[in-house]
Amino acid sequence: MHRRNRARVLSGLVVAVALSVLAVCPNRPAAAQQLTASNPPAAAVEDNGDPWENTNRQIFGFNQTVDKYALVPVANAYRFAIPSTFRDMIHDFLQNLDSPIIFANDVLQAEPGLAGQTFGRALINTTIGFGGFFDVAAKFGVPYHTNDLGITLATWGVNSGPYLMLPILGPSNPRDFFGDIADGFGDPGNIVASDHNRLWAAVLRGAVSGIDERSRNIENLAEIERTSLDYYATIRSLARQRRAAQIRHQKEDVPNAAPLQGMNTRSVVPAVSIAALPTGPTPGMSYQMASPQIPANASANSLADLQKSSMTSSAPTKR
Amino acid sequence: MNRRWFALFALLFGAGMLATPPRAAAQADPTAVINQLGVQAIQVLGPNVSPAARVQRFRELFGAYFDIPGIARFVLGRYWRVATPEQQQQFETLLREYLAQAYAGRLAQYAGEKFQALNAQTQGGDTVVFSEITRNDGSKIRVEWHLVNSGGWKITDAYVAGVSMAVTERDEFASVIQQGGGQIQYLLDRLRQKLGG
Repeated sequence: MHRRNRARVLSGLVVAVALSVLAVCPNRPAAAQQLTASNPPAAAVEDNGDPWENTNRQIFGFNQTVDKYALVPVANAYRFAIPSTFRDMIHDFLQNLDSPIIFANDVLQAEPGLAGQTFGRALINTTIGFGGFFDVAAKFGVPYHTNDLGITLATWGVNSGPYLMLPILGPSNPRDFFGDIADGFGDPGNIVASDHNRLWAAVLRGAVSGIDERSRNIENLAEIERTSLDYYATIRSLARQRRAAQIRHQKEDVPNAAPLQGMNTRSVVPAVSIAALPTGPTPGMSYQMASPQIPANASANSLADLQKSSMTSSAPTKR
Repeated sequence: MNRRWFALFALLFGAGMLATPPRAAAQADPTAVINQLGVQAIQVLGPNVSPAARVQRFRELFGAYFDIPGIARFVLGRYWRVATPEQQQQFETLLREYLAQAYAGRLAQYAGEKFQALNAQTQGGDTVVFSEITRNDGSKIRVEWHLVNSGGWKITDAYVAGVSMAVTERDEFASVIQQGGGQIQYLLDRLRQKLGG
């Protein structure tokens, strides 16, 4: 999702982007070779696919500052000022605007099923969903999926190249960065906007998408930062795994399981609502259930009742 | 049979009924294990539970449901073999504490949402239980649990929307060890410092 937002921000910054492409792209093959060259298992340091780590960490630090003093305050204000119903409508509207690019990439990947879903969703949401403000299609059982040129290139066998931390835009790599830029230029909305000298519309779309995305992750990222030992490395790992799942077109539905031999695989306990359960710690009941399996030394944990180390600077980075 | 004997019998039988079912179900069926874990984790995610109590509960759940020694070995990767037995032991203890503190915080965002274990599958020797979280806006997040059966089902990894808990920690800890010049002791010190021990 945020990849699309990036594409839009970028399309508003045409000149800077063009320069960046020139700056980044020639590096990719060279860097890839460098990687394989420094790859032999004899190396004492494990290859983490991040040869630009020092620079990336500096940019990450810069992003964290921007995030703390600009993005998070704006995202909080957005949340405070606009009721969630309207925020959801804005979110759905922006998502619907992405449909042409998602559809194009579904087609480029020869995924007729996904392309059909995207087309059907755009049709339903633009009409019955009042121009995309309501995701009616999802309620009809046609779920949203993301797609972009970075994923297309990946399915065509293009390697991502090294990890790349972009200023403001966050985790990426040369392949995905190139894909975002190309998607931005190919986006019909952006093309219409620039044809009519309304670049501000494309920039606004990018900005609102960014705020929308950030407003949905405030607590989430703050918790990851607070509890991480190395926030940069955690974000790097999460971003890559998330991207890999998108490239696999990880489906949200669950495959039909073949029954395990001699095992009752049916769900025994019905869905539990977290809200419906008693909110207190309910030590008596819940402890009883778990206690037979808890090793005897569980209560003698030397680390019990520790205060969490005070990581007061909880300034999550943008994604 | 007189009335007293009957009362005693009923009491014993009733007590037996109360005591056995959850445990028996947990032994037989990995899906039930995951559901049980979900129920217990969810109970402490609400806003009325203090963070300290939540961490304590997660500490117990990680101890009871997760294959901590196996996860520790995976997470340390090639560093596991060069660690001394004492370091390995310390790392297991610290890892459990780290996971409890980290995930008690990171999962708090799912308070008020629905969790359901759906079905199980074998995937290349692994038993995988599929489950989903239904968010308040109706969207679903897929969570896959990998389990091994070693005298009871133990979780070796959990994938939330394609992101592996064990891989994330392995990557993070590898980065920390690198910063410490390849020394495992550096990671142990940093963990202890972070966890307040």
